[in-house]
Amino acid sequence: MRKQLKKFAQFTALSSLLVLSACGGNQAAGDEEGKSSGGAVKADIGVISYISGPGAAYGEAITNGLKLAQEEINGKGEVEINLVIEDSAGKQDQALTAAQKLMNSENVTGIIGPTLSTEMNVVGPEADLNGVPIMGTSTTAEGIPQIGDYVFRNSLPEALAIPAAIDKAIEKYDAKKVAILYGNDDVFTKSGFDTMKKAAEEKGLEILTTETFQKGQSDYNAQLTKIKGLKPDLILASALYNEGAVIMDQARKMGIDVPFVGGNGFNSPEVINIAGDAANGLIVATPWYGEKEDDKVKEFVSKYEKEYGKKPDQFAAQAYDALYIMAEALTNAGEADRDALRDALAEIKGFNGILGEFSFDEEGDVVMDPTVLVIEGGAFKEFN
Amino acid sequence: MLAELINPYYLQVASFILINIILGVSIYITLSTGQLSLANAGFMGIGAYTSALLTLNFDLPIIVGIFAGTLLAGLFGILIGIPTLRLQGVYLAIVTLGFGEVIRVIFVNWESMTKGAVGLSGIPHMGREILNTLRGFGFDPKILGLQNNQFVFLAIFLILLVATISIITFFRRQNRSRVGRAFAAIKLDEKAAESMGINITYYKVLAFAQGALVAGFAGTLFAHVLAYISPADFAYHRAVEILIFAVFGGSEVIWGPVFGALFLTAMPEVLRFISEYRYMIYGLIIIIMMAVRPQGLIDVNILNWVKLKTSRRGQKHGTSSQKSM
Repeated sequence: MRKQLKKFAQFTALSSLLVLSACGGNQAAGDEEGKSSGGAVKADIGVISYISGPGAAYGEAITNGLKLAQEEINGKGEVEINLVIEDSAGKQDQALTAAQKLMNSENVTGIIGPTLSTEMNVVGPEADLNGVPIMGTSTTAEGIPQIGDYVFRNSLPEALAIPAAIDKAIEKYDAKKVAILYGNDDVFTKSGFDTMKKAAEEKGLEILTTETFQKGQSDYNAQLTKIKGLKPDLILASALYNEGAVIMDQARKMGIDVPFVGGNGFNSPEVINIAGDAANGLIVATPWYGEKEDDKVKEFVSKYEKEYGKKPDQFAAQAYDALYIMAEALTNAGEADRDALRDALAEIKGFNGILGEFSFDEEGDVVMDPTVLVIEGGAFKEFN
Repeated sequence: MLAELINPYYLQVASFILINIILGVSIYITLSTGQLSLANAGFMGIGAYTSALLTLNFDLPIIVGIFAGTLLAGLFGILIGIPTLRLQGVYLAIVTLGFGEVIRVIFVNWESMTKGAVGLSGIPHMGREILNTLRGFGFDPKILGLQNNQFVFLAIFLILLVATISIITFFRRQNRSRVGRAFAAIKLDEKAAESMGINITYYKVLAFAQGALVAGFAGTLFAHVLAYISPADFAYHRAVEILIFAVFGGSEVIWGPVFGALFLTAMPEVLRFISEYRYMIYGLIIIIMMAVRPQGLIDVNILNWVKLKTSRRGQKHGTSSQKSM
């Protein structure tokens, strides 16, 4: 008993030490913002990212992209950006406390992130109320920039991506009848489905059936048998890649050979790894195409591969561009001031990054042309 | 001076700690009759959705939503408590976990009402509503030397603090009452308790309903502090998280889950400076705890020891003051 008590006392002492060390050192950072002697705009940009937990791969790609961009931007000397990176673990409450820390303890000028749309739904209103410009790099759900004047995003929303993919598919295959399949217990796939349904109705497609599935489901034969009997020209599938790849595999085995159109979550090289040849015929619209014949894109890909040992995905690319957009806005604003940064961000038009030409509309949402890709022979190719 | 000390970040973390403490208390109550219920996440969801929907759709004041959500969760507690009376231990845990999942699936599929997996956004925010109401009376936070957002989070924090303290006080007093003794007797030996004339059905359902009520209350607070809820917030992850508060802190005395909630909520924030490694440390601490103190950190022995220490000190003071007299 005595021994245990001793341990307990040591433990408390240690943990209180940890508390102390965490509390100190935060206060001084915010004061010396603004212009440095060299004339460069110095700014702290906060980052809220999904670094730990099941979705940590997203956060890793995003922070890698940001760090690469930071290095380049600071090297040029016009702007000096200091990134303050905080983890949200994919949870709304954690994202909110991280945002509060960045806004109140670190006094950042602007925030990049958080990773998930659900997190943005919580963090966005708070940042807007505090007058801190915030830009999502991977929040694709409906209604994100509409939260407030200070909320932006540079990630291609589903509302732009899905109709673009459907359009091209209709053109090529002369499709009239479609079947829709979606995961109804996930925010991402559910809002993707809403967009798909709207797009299909607008384009006058006949929706033969709407089938649902759940996260982690492994057998889709019931839904696919029904779809097969109805003989659609296209299957619109709002799924994340892990479920989506299995769906395609089972569909092809069953003899369904029509093309699939997917949302942003379906767009991953993992689909090819999981489904193999069955993945052929998946059409997705994406802001990011790594094989593009463009000097900026090639340079980014080679730099990223050299630094991190793997090819960049769309999350890394969007984060990379996001920091460049922030940097340009900071240059135009001329000072590290939250309101000036917001106004400068809203002014961004025709920004030329690795994702192509990019502008904000009056709500802070994305204006750009997505690239439509198709899987052919086990690789993503541009779809014409 | 005061204004500089009040940082919304710390207040925000403190608010989440307080909500988690209330959740920890909710599982403690059912555990104090020896029932392991994992339905608290479901009750929390019922409370949160009820209050959110009422305030969103009918423009009711938040306080009405909180009452309605809490009561409805309590009602569900009675409804679930009665049929599951015959189950014990693991079986009860499985059934209540199932109940939580059923609730979540209803939230996902009742799209016309709950907007499905996308969740409800724009729920009235407790602190901002208070600020707006007070402004209506001509009050400005600047009178206190506070910024708007400082005032908002201070208000939330104080309300939660009062709520948490009242709940803890209530259940501490209940523990020393007839009801508390009955709970303890049932926990030790149901058959013996019954033969002593304790109405087992009544007390077990009472504990279940109280747990549901408290969890529902925490849910309504959660909805109005975060201003956004989705079915994923009330999945089994939440149920397990609540259970861990009690397992970590200890479930023998009320201070166990309270400390568990406090420590486990503050921990990831304190460890922010090591970013991606913080959840590893978090896991490590829980494993070490399981190995060293499987009954939880705080139990009766620890409390007695603390009491002994403080009372000794008190005695010394006592004697010295007598001398001076």
